[in-house]
Amino acid sequence: MAEFKLNEGRLQELITKLRDAGYRVVAPVEEEGAFVFKEVTEPGQARLDVLRTARSIKEWFFPRVEPTLRYEFDGSAVRCESGLPESPQKTVIIGCRPCDAASLPMLDTLFDWDYRDEYWFRRREATTVISVACDVPDSYCFCTSVGGSPEGTAGADLLMRRTADGGYLLEPLTEKGRAIIEAGEGVLELASGTEEVLVGEVPQRFALDKVKPWLDQNFEHDYWKEISYKCLSCGICAFVCPTCHCFDIQDEADLERGVRIKSWDSCCFPIFTRHGSGHNPRPTRDTRYRQRVMHKFRYYVDKFGVTACVGCGRCSSSCPIDMNICSVVAGVAELAESSK
Amino acid sequence: MIDELRQKARELLETGEVDLVIGYGEGSDPTRTMPVFIRRPEDCEKLVWNKYCYNNLTSYLTWPELKTRGKRAVVCKGCDAKAVVVLSKERQIDRKNVIVIGMACEGVGEPLLSKCEFCDVRTPKNCDIVIGPEITPLSKEKQFEDVEQLEARDPADRWEFWREQFSRCIKCYACRQACPLCYCTQCIVERNQPQWVPTSAHPRGNLAWNVMRAMHLAGRCIGCGECERVCPSNIPLMLANKKLAQVVKEQFGYESGYDIDEPLPMASFMPDDSDELFK
Repeated sequence: MAEFKLNEGRLQELITKLRDAGYRVVAPVEEEGAFVFKEVTEPGQARLDVLRTARSIKEWFFPRVEPTLRYEFDGSAVRCESGLPESPQKTVIIGCRPCDAASLPMLDTLFDWDYRDEYWFRRREATTVISVACDVPDSYCFCTSVGGSPEGTAGADLLMRRTADGGYLLEPLTEKGRAIIEAGEGVLELASGTEEVLVGEVPQRFALDKVKPWLDQNFEHDYWKEISYKCLSCGICAFVCPTCHCFDIQDEADLERGVRIKSWDSCCFPIFTRHGSGHNPRPTRDTRYRQRVMHKFRYYVDKFGVTACVGCGRCSSSCPIDMNICSVVAGVAELAESSK
Repeated sequence: MIDELRQKARELLETGEVDLVIGYGEGSDPTRTMPVFIRRPEDCEKLVWNKYCYNNLTSYLTWPELKTRGKRAVVCKGCDAKAVVVLSKERQIDRKNVIVIGMACEGVGEPLLSKCEFCDVRTPKNCDIVIGPEITPLSKEKQFEDVEQLEARDPADRWEFWREQFSRCIKCYACRQACPLCYCTQCIVERNQPQWVPTSAHPRGNLAWNVMRAMHLAGRCIGCGECERVCPSNIPLMLANKKLAQVVKEQFGYESGYDIDEPLPMASFMPDDSDELFK
């Protein structure tokens, strides 16, 4: 497919073009010292050089709080109104990394499994994803250990790669991606084919094929206690994770009206599995953290055939006690190797 | 200092005085450390001490699974050790069963965390063992400067400031989990019959949670700043904590975490208590 060139210093013009074409543009934007995906109101806010935003792009498809139903009771009848967005705004997310983009097809499977989650899919359909290949990955990155790549294309509509002259090479991957090229006409030019692209290297940190067989056999293993005794049981890892998708549903209501709200939840919270009886099948830190690893590297593989981790490193970099999922899983791979 | 720390920890374990040492170990990156729980004398080599020893390890002291074990030792900076005083006063730990190893500290972080700029416990107080040289305390004269700056703004402006700050909360509860004084076995936000505090991370739920968290720490917060450090949304939680500390200091002449015998201001009534707060 033909590639296009965005010359140095012309990103803001491209963003303006996209906004003129009716797109809501979402990009990494600074917010109180942290970078998050936000709607760009001034083209200069977009920071495509940011490697790891505080949170992933999932909140643009699966918001942290989502009203799914509103209801009113007037004393005799109940009136309900769906919270489902009729036609979400046409949006382009620009500047996510290939790992974040890869989380989207992974979650498509989940949200279309026993029930098609229209909240997710309507936003997916209305959104174009432009990822930026990583020229300078860091020590938290491990995409290559979970089947990804710093220039991976999974889930992206268009891939941008940095060029040595300070510009970007744009490769449209889908119809939606081609529409971006069209909208950018006048700012983009046809690539010459001689551009030098800058793509960093992410060393492979563990052998993924060793992990699942060990997990299948070692639900009860001292390893879980050893690694997770210090976990604080907060929800940071799940909330910053591009693939964690568990949610809680609660009614916030009074006698006359209410809203049924879907909110992010985390398996590391002690209350996550607490039964009405008070019994909790995952009463301890190790059983909860084990669940986090098992879900990503074992159960999800059993159910959907893919590992539910894209190696973005967010959970590790933002963990208050420096729990590093890459080291944890590398430890599993080592145990698998040594127990042969 | 590190050799002395490892030596002390080894002695404590070898003599059986403690059966667990909670300290800092090597992190996944040179600029981080990770809490380590050490039970065998030979593992004391894993202990580290450097300017990246951020965590307040005293939050582990109230964990039910660790409470049942024998005597424990915990490595503390001066600020962290203040939490031991409060935990003991609030009857959450039996002080006799905890050996507090205080580390002389010139501040953590690069650049230094703001709490370290006004630190008067660089040589830790109320510890059983202090390791390292005597370090001159810093002046706390300007500790409330940021609170005063915010207070100088008009109320509508301040409201807008906090509304915006709290709107970024994602309800991960890391602030609570990292706090040594948030030890309730069931937090009020986890009481769901009825759900007293909305769990949703919408503006109303976030305001309720954050105000409640700060209020619950009034007269108790020792200023270790862990809540603010771990917040993935960079909400300046210490500004709220410090405001309450300032009120308590002005009204009751009390500063949390210093005096083991002084009554807790929010848990004791004195006939001469100021009525200023109830005007």
